[in-house]
Order: sequence, then structure tokens, then C-alpha cells
Amino acid sequence: MTKKILMIDDDPDFVSGIKAILDKAGFEVEVAYNPKDGMQALQTKKYDLLLLDIMMGRGAEGIMIARKLRKDIKLRELPVLILTGMREQIAFLFPGEPVHPRFVEVDEMVEKPVEPKLLLEKINALIKTAEAKKAGK
Amino acid sequence: MKEYAYFPGCSLEKMASSYHQSAMETTKKLGIKLKELEDWNCCGATTYFFIDELLAYTLCARNLAIAEKTGLDVVAPCSACYKNMYFTAAHLKKDPDLAEHVNFALEEDNLHFNGNVNIKHLIEVFANDISTEEIQSKVSRPLEGIRVAPYYGCQIVRPQKEKENVEQPQFFEKILSAIGATPVNYPLKMRCCGGSLILSSRTAALSMVRNLLQCAVDSQATVIATACPMCQVNLEVYQQQVNLEFGTNFSFPVMYFTQLIGLAFGIKPKKLGIGKEFVSFAPSLLPVLQE
Amino acid sequence: MTDTITFGQEISNLLYASEGEPLRTCIQCGTCSGTCPVAGYMDHTPRQIIAMINQNMKEQVLESNTFWYCASCYYCTVRCPQEINITELMYALKRYSIWKGHYQEGLIGPIFSEAFVKMIVSGGRSFEPVLAPSYIFSFSLREFIQEISGATELMLKGRLPILPARIERLDSFKRMIGRIIPMGGLE
Repeated sequence: MTKKILMIDDDPDFVSGIKAILDKAGFEVEVAYNPKDGMQALQTKKYDLLLLDIMMGRGAEGIMIARKLRKDIKLRELPVLILTGMREQIAFLFPGEPVHPRFVEVDEMVEKPVEPKLLLEKINALIKTAEAKKAGK
Repeated sequence: MKEYAYFPGCSLEKMASSYHQSAMETTKKLGIKLKELEDWNCCGATTYFFIDELLAYTLCARNLAIAEKTGLDVVAPCSACYKNMYFTAAHLKKDPDLAEHVNFALEEDNLHFNGNVNIKHLIEVFANDISTEEIQSKVSRPLEGIRVAPYYGCQIVRPQKEKENVEQPQFFEKILSAIGATPVNYPLKMRCCGGSLILSSRTAALSMVRNLLQCAVDSQATVIATACPMCQVNLEVYQQQVNLEFGTNFSFPVMYFTQLIGLAFGIKPKKLGIGKEFVSFAPSLLPVLQE
Repeated sequence: MTDTITFGQEISNLLYASEGEPLRTCIQCGTCSGTCPVAGYMDHTPRQIIAMINQNMKEQVLESNTFWYCASCYYCTVRCPQEINITELMYALKRYSIWKGHYQEGLIGPIFSEAFVKMIVSGGRSFEPVLAPSYIFSFSLREFIQEISGATELMLKGRLPILPARIERLDSFKRMIGRIIPMGGLE
């Protein structure tokens, strides 16, 4: 069965690149270019994985979304892969320091730019783990 | 005794210390207590909005949460601080998701903001919370013949909060009249002084300051009264630079409205921070400064 | 869900408070430009910038100094007949240009802003002297001397802080910030 991915990211150039990789790998990809549209999509449709950007809209909206998901009974089990370029976007706040680990309960975080192979590996692994968990319940 | 939670803002420590001194002296005379917020932090000015609006709200929310614990209304003498805190409270009220996110961050400092704080600018205390009669009753040296340009600046009156008059407010003039001064018709009374542009876009800001000073001269004022530390610094500290840039020769006193009120109340000039200015008030205020 | 979005839509996405594309309601009346106290010093007036955004002229917009010269006085916003929050637009453009690292060369605004933000993160309060390097070296010699002379006079009058102010609960303050922006190295 084709796996459905929602991508919430405000950068159309980055999105088209990633979408091409995922389309080729056989995923069905939907995109929301702002946090409000993204939240609406999550509430109204079902996805197998969420690709989440951080810096968009007012600021680090991605973090707000991620925390909200974890509190939502329906969306708590959705695997979330954060795909962020924040260390470049607001570089002056990260002088050499990596992003704080486990800042929010997401499954994985990867920094942009991301190697296609690595991205697909992580996505497949996360979907598989989520399914196993659901089956085991 | 009226009490307020007092948020001085970063510039009142040193740069605008005379504003702080005169605010304390005049409110004390009126039986008002300004209790400084404990461990307050910078409101973020306009700059934090250039980077991350959520973080900007969080900075203000921390101060609001600290203030909420006191149960008092918050008073801010600086227009930028006032605007930031007022609108942070308004946004948090409208957006429960934002409030929840910000409160999650505030947990790290054992704080929580429930949205129960009123935020006022210091001038609103004099304009609304105290009656004109009360102010007049404390005036021992009315500022007779002193023509004052009431410089509102921008962020006291804009953005619009409710239905107040953003084109022709009169509350500043009302206060000046109450202390016996003559408020002049100052057409540019709500035009921006440039704010931080004085550093980042220097020539543009200096020309804005020049227009304000020229207009005060044309309005035949003898002193400009301000209600914001940034306005005072731009109009006064940079006056000499305006002269060098444009070949003008302004020598115009720019005072905080609380200093003018203090003089009218008969408080000693030194206690009102008078003496720290770049352009001396003495010539124009001679009749009032004389013992 | 669309295939891709235009530059105009990208900018609309930054305006969180508004729904849809508020800039498209602009009637180009010019009230904002006429009111703006800094318009004379901008490469493009506010009205022009809005038109350029609606035409998706991304490069030209980002290379303009317009939004970095905005003083956030809100005069345009209270007078716009279409109730577009133009000041909010200027903030959004600043954010966009910083996040993308794409802005006109030689501008002091972005550098100054970064220095200011770092200053508050490190101490919780403002301390002017630490900001000086972010702008003073872009000044001409004459401006530099004027600024130094002004600063000296301020110091002599006791109006310039000598020591940086810090809040007491600085550690928890930094961790608080870390929950909004997950910066490393906060401990």
C-alpha cells in the first residue's frame, strides 16, 4: 500500500527537491507551505509520516506543531521526522553549537541539506517502527 | 495609595535615569507607589521580531507572568516596552496555542501567565488614573508662559488598541495644561523619531529628527516634552550631529514630561535628574528654576 | 495543497495573523508611502514593495533596503484603507531576509539585530557598549568621531552603563529560551 507523507515546509525550492526524491521512491506526498495549513491537513486527513520544518511563519513554529501533536490522542503515534536548516537560518544563535538534542518528542531530526539515501532510510525505518508498534498493541 | 507594578525597561537604568528619577518623584508626590518588578528582563525592543516572533512574545510573557503574581497593573515608562507588553498580552489572549507554547517555556523559570494583567504607559497614569484636579492641587509653581511641544512619538498611540483617537489625541496637552504650561499646536507630534534607525540608518534618522526639531521651532515652542527614552535620546543627544549633518544650529531643550510635572510640583531640579542633559533647560525655564 | 507557491504566497505565509493573501487587496493608493517618515530614504517605497511582491519580484525585493529602513512607527498600518498590516509585512520581510541570509550588502540593520539578540540571550538585559562594534565600523570617519564624542559625553554625564547588567535567574532564562529555539550550549 502506498505510504502517504505530509511535508510542512515553507521553502518551495527545498520542497520540490525532496518531493522529487520521495515521488520517485513511490511515496504519495502532500505539501503544506505554512503551519496553519499543515495543522489543518493533519486534523482532516491520515498520513503515515510527517516531515516537519522548524523555522516558518512567526519563528520556530515547527516546535509548536511537534509538541501539539504529542498531546493529541489521534496524532500522538504519527512518526515525525524533523528536517531543519535552522543552524544556517539563524546561524548567529548557534555559533558552532549543535541543536539541543531531544528538545521535543519527535522521532528523529535531520539537518538540511540532507542526502537522499539517508532521508529515505530514515523515513522507511520510522514508518516500519510505527507499524510494528501498532501491530504489537 | 495607588500601587503599580513598575517595569522600568533597560534604558531607564542609565541612559534615561532622569526619566526614572522624575517618574518616582512625581508619582510619590501624588500618593502613587511604583513597585519595581523583580528580576525583569529586556522586553526585546523591536529587534526580536526580526528574528523570531515566538521568542519575542516569550521575553515579554516572562515579565507579564512576574507582574501577574503581584496582582497589580503594570506601568511602563518606555513606549517600546509598553507596546511590546501590551500586544504580547493581547496576542496570548487571542491565541491559546501560542499561550500554551509560551507557558511551556516559562515553566523553566517556574512561571505561568494566565492573561490577567493590565498594561499601561506611565503617561496614561497621569492622563487617566489621576484626575486633573488632583494634579493641579499639587502644583506650586505653574509653568506660566512655558510653551511646550507635546511630542507623543509613535508607539504610545500606534498600533491602535481599541477605539482611541490615533489622529488627534489630546491627553498629553491636557496634562501640560494642568501644570500651567502652554501646549503648542505641534503638527509632527506623532511622527517617528527614528528609533534604532539612528544607529542602522543614520542619515535617514537624523533627517527625521531634524524635521521634528524644525517643526518645534516653527510652532514657537521653547521646550519639547517626550514620554519615551528613545525619543529623548534621538531628539537631544543627537541634536549636535543633526547640526553637523545639515548645517542647522538647533539648541532645543528636550525634557521628559515627568520632569516638567516635577518642576511644577516644586520638586528640586536635581531630584528630577536635571543636569544630565546635553542641551540645558536653564535659559527657557529660568522663571521656574529660580528658587 | 498546491504544487508550488509563488514568492508572493511565501510572504503571505509569514503573515501569521492574516488569512489568505492580504497583499493582494492593496489598491496602490500610496497612502502608506505618503505617510512613511523614512520613505524618502528607501530604495522603494512601501507601496512599491507591495506591488513588487505581488509581481513575485523576489530578487529585487530582497535586494531593496526598504524593510530594513522601516522604523515600525505603524503610521502606514493605521491609515491603510484596506487594513493591511504593513508594519507586520516589514517585520516578515526582515525575518525572511535573515533566515535566507539574503539582504542588500552594506546594511547595518541585520548585523545590529543579530548582535542585539545575542546580547539579550547572554544577559537578559541591554548593555549598549557591546552593540557598538556592530555598527560603528560601518560609519565614515567623521560619523565615527561624532559617535565616540557623543558616547564620551554620555559617559561623563553618567548616562552610559559601564558594567553589563544581568538578571539573576539567568540560567533558567536561557533554558526558557531553549524551549522556544533549541539552541545548544545553554548550560
